Amino acid sequence: MVQSEAPVQESDAARQADAVARLRALGGPLFDAFSASGAALCVSDPSRTGEPIVFANAAFEALTGHKAVDLAGQSARILLSDASDPAVVAALEEDLERTKSARSDIQLRHGDGTPFWCRLAVTRLVDEVDQTAFHLSILSPIPPEQIEPHPPQEAAGTGARLGRPITGGAGAWEWDIASNVLVADVRFAALYGLDPAKAAAGLPASAFYEPMHPDDVLRMKIAVAGMMNGAEVFARDYRIVGPDGALRWVSARGRTWLDEGDRPIRFSGVLADITDQKRVEERLRVAQSAGGVGTFEYLSGFGTVEVSEQFCRLLGLHPADSLPVRTINSLVHADDPPLIGNWSEADVTQKAVRIRRANDGQERWLTVRGEHQAHAAGDGGSFTGVIYDVTDAKLAEARLRILTESLEESIVERTQERDRIWNLSRDLLFVASNQGRFTALNPAWSTVLGKDHNDLLGAMVTALIHPDDAEAARSHLRAAASQGIAAEFDCRMLGPDGDWRWISWTVTGEAGAIFGSGRDLTQRRALEDQLRQSQKMEAVGQLTGGIAHDFNNMLTGILGGIDMVRKRLQTGRPQDAERFLEAASQSGQRAAALTHRLLAFSRRQSLDTRATDVGALVASMSELMSRTMGEQVVVETSLPAELWHAAADPSQLESAILNLAINARDAMPRGGRLAISVANRTLGASDLDPAEAAKPGEYVEVSVSDTGMGMSRDVVAKVFEPFYTTKPIGQGTGLGLSMIYGYMQQLNGAVRIDSLEGKGTTVRLLLPRHSGAVETPSAPAGTPQQGRGETVLVVEDDPSVRLLVLQVLQELGYRGLEAPDADHALPLLASQDKIDLLVTDVGLPGLNGRQLAEIARESRPGLPVLFITGYALAAVDQTTFLDAGMQMITKPFDIDELGHRIGAMIAPSLN
Amino acid sequence: MAQGQIELEVLERDALTELVNIGVSRAAASLRKMVGEQVLLSVPSVEVVSRTGAAALIREREHGELVAVRQDFEGVFSGRALLIFPQANSLSLVHAVSGGALSPQETAEMEQEALAETGNVVLNSCLATMANMLQEPLTMSLPEVIRGDGLVLFNSSTQPGEEGVVLFLYINFAINDRDIRGYIAMLMDLPSLEALRRLIADFIARVTAD
Repeated sequence: MVQSEAPVQESDAARQADAVARLRALGGPLFDAFSASGAALCVSDPSRTGEPIVFANAAFEALTGHKAVDLAGQSARILLSDASDPAVVAALEEDLERTKSARSDIQLRHGDGTPFWCRLAVTRLVDEVDQTAFHLSILSPIPPEQIEPHPPQEAAGTGARLGRPITGGAGAWEWDIASNVLVADVRFAALYGLDPAKAAAGLPASAFYEPMHPDDVLRMKIAVAGMMNGAEVFARDYRIVGPDGALRWVSARGRTWLDEGDRPIRFSGVLADITDQKRVEERLRVAQSAGGVGTFEYLSGFGTVEVSEQFCRLLGLHPADSLPVRTINSLVHADDPPLIGNWSEADVTQKAVRIRRANDGQERWLTVRGEHQAHAAGDGGSFTGVIYDVTDAKLAEARLRILTESLEESIVERTQERDRIWNLSRDLLFVASNQGRFTALNPAWSTVLGKDHNDLLGAMVTALIHPDDAEAARSHLRAAASQGIAAEFDCRMLGPDGDWRWISWTVTGEAGAIFGSGRDLTQRRALEDQLRQSQKMEAVGQLTGGIAHDFNNMLTGILGGIDMVRKRLQTGRPQDAERFLEAASQSGQRAAALTHRLLAFSRRQSLDTRATDVGALVASMSELMSRTMGEQVVVETSLPAELWHAAADPSQLESAILNLAINARDAMPRGGRLAISVANRTLGASDLDPAEAAKPGEYVEVSVSDTGMGMSRDVVAKVFEPFYTTKPIGQGTGLGLSMIYGYMQQLNGAVRIDSLEGKGTTVRLLLPRHSGAVETPSAPAGTPQQGRGETVLVVEDDPSVRLLVLQVLQELGYRGLEAPDADHALPLLASQDKIDLLVTDVGLPGLNGRQLAEIARESRPGLPVLFITGYALAAVDQTTFLDAGMQMITKPFDIDELGHRIGAMIAPSLN
Repeated sequence: MAQGQIELEVLERDALTELVNIGVSRAAASLRKMVGEQVLLSVPSVEVVSRTGAAALIREREHGELVAVRQDFEGVFSGRALLIFPQANSLSLVHAVSGGALSPQETAEMEQEALAETGNVVLNSCLATMANMLQEPLTMSLPEVIRGDGLVLFNSSTQPGEEGVVLFLYINFAINDRDIRGYIAMLMDLPSLEALRRLIADFIARVTAD
């Protein structure tokens, strides 16, 4: 390509085209390989003047900076620069003439005008008849330190040439083997710390080893020995200790020159400072081995890859500088893309591949990451990249994935289980927002309440709850939502047919939502009602059995007595009748007492609560009790002075104390001591059970103690239950203590029982202290006063009672009017007839006695009214039931008592 | 150290490399005369590995068929030397040594002969140089061309049961701007390696005496 210059002529265009065609014909498929080759090459035509360039490939363009189109037809000479050594050019031409090829390191001119070093190899391409057809020039870039000096033509010029540095960064030496003299240039002298003048003049060859690091001397001596004994190529890196003591890495590249007898006569070479390069290499090596990163560089189309040591290690291969692509890719898993090749179009490629390590057969994951560098159009370019082991990360990833999958599976499973429960549950399940709106309901809502659960979404939870229960439910839901308090409550909810279903709810709040589960209690409630009803029937049966027994006894006394009186009257023996009447009357009194007790038990007796001197009451009973208790029981009473008055119904209290005394006697079949004491007590909150009617305050305590057999704890727990009795059937109704309990509750008092088995029992009645003035009741005395024909209206639905009352009125000299009910009574009251007193039953069919009295007083203000009552719920507390001018008398009543009352009521109204 | 390698001291290895370098340089000089072209041979490194290790090394570096020239040697250390090329490279070598003016048919015909001759030159030079340098005589058998993969080459030993060692050397041929890579493998038993080491030690002592 380097021939004499000549201008490119017009006709050259045709010859150029012809040359290209000839080259293609000659090259065949090789021509295409040239085009794609990574090596910079060009073809020139030496048969034409100026040796014009016929072809240049992309790599050549990239290296020289000249465009192939611009070069085509141009003389190859234009690549020479001013810096090109004419001697080198001449030597090249000569070599080319003599042999078929030539090579040299030469400076050429880059497209941008700057000179650059490259290694030029020119080969003659011959045609079929062995004639030179073209010159093929291959260029490769070389770093300055690798530039080989042009082989010295003659020893004479050596000293002069070596006196100046021959290359940019490198020093040169020549070692004459016969004389054992070393000649070096300035740069070599500087690196070795030699006097440049002495170095140029020649030194003993031992100077070559002088600044060397001691550890490298032996190695280098062996290497030099090789050269002295016939080795031709010398390439060693070693350390030298500079004059400043600094350690430097140098690279020595050299060769020997042989005489005709193939004996080495001269050993020459260049020395370059590669300290920085070594440092970088060392850093790179450390980075690679420490980071486990292997590097590679691959030129497209080549069969081998430049690789680093760490690269080999990662693949389990022996360390090598280059490896065949197939060796590398054969280690890759069949399902993965090849490690080398298959690059994406993107600038940066990253892929993960599995490989089986060559040395231990382990499967590892590698990440391959690299950058693609396009050299020129049409060229495959090169790919520089790294690989690193990511097996641990991949394993962790896989484990995590398995974990996640199994977690998902178990979640799906559990969700299905939950869904099944949710869907199949017969309980009502819901989730609601904190505001109490349904967000989810289960299908049970459809079956239990007949509401499509989807229609309820968004509705308020309380919407279906019975209005009476809604407020309680709302507060439970609020507590659940705001404080997460779990609550259980029952409420009625609107059922499918507009009926109300009892639902027992458990609700709780969590994570901003309310969760609820409800069970339909309607059926349970129905069963409970049935149970209660049957219990009630059983209770009524017991009650009626007990009562029937007592009543039959009493009725026997009454009816028998009346029969005996009738017989005495028929047989004209009235003097005996009085005895039987007395017996019948006593039986009647007992029956009345029994009904009183029943009413007391039901807490529906009408109590005449008034200030009662309990001490006096007990004192009045003591004689009676002593007699009743029998001789074996000693009765003691303890009645201190200054006792308070209690608010109580004296007759009921008397009955209660008597009842307790009888129980005490029955508990002491072999005799004992009965103590009755009365005392003032002040009770605090701690003395009282909140469930009791009693409030803290002042009380009068009546205590009844015996020294009898006592009761077990179980028995004590049950004594206040109705019909509980320890006595044989027929001997007690089981109503005693429960009646007392009811009575005390009604009084806002309390009862206490202390009992020890075998030690006796103490029952204490705590009666509230009466506040206010104590009236001394004026006891009715003597026979009732006679009426003077005053008019009394009697309204009573029971004909016998009505007859009795009218008879009494008539005998007392009053005029009686009668009516069976309010309907009949109202016309009489509306008439102009004078009526001085209304006597009416409270419990009447239609309007009751109280209402009748109201109406009567509208037309007759201040009309005195006397109510007769057997039992009336509204009249239980007389003080609130009665207005001024109204009184009450309870059935059964004493005839004289009735007379006194009527007389007393009519008398003031007349005044 | 990779699996299958046997420890050789750094200096010993340097010395052995240099001995082989001298040998291949001699061979290059002979080849230059033979082909009339610039021939440079160099050995950058040497490793001592087991037979299976050598097979693995070559398997990693070369795919496909290998061609080798084999010569047995005997003396103070004995064994078998192999000059190995990838099949593809062997044709380039034939081209290079035959001046490149052969038709494909001629090349194929000449290949065996050219390889045997090249191998003979290279191996003879190496072993003879080593023998000279070590000052011990060696006798060499005639060259033989064999083909196959690494296992075939290294297992066709005369002592099949014995697990000897392999001196494994990389060799770069630069013939007329063709870069051809090849390998020299010297199969020896352990006593021979020990003998070689003693000789190497003497060599080191000699060249580093002053």
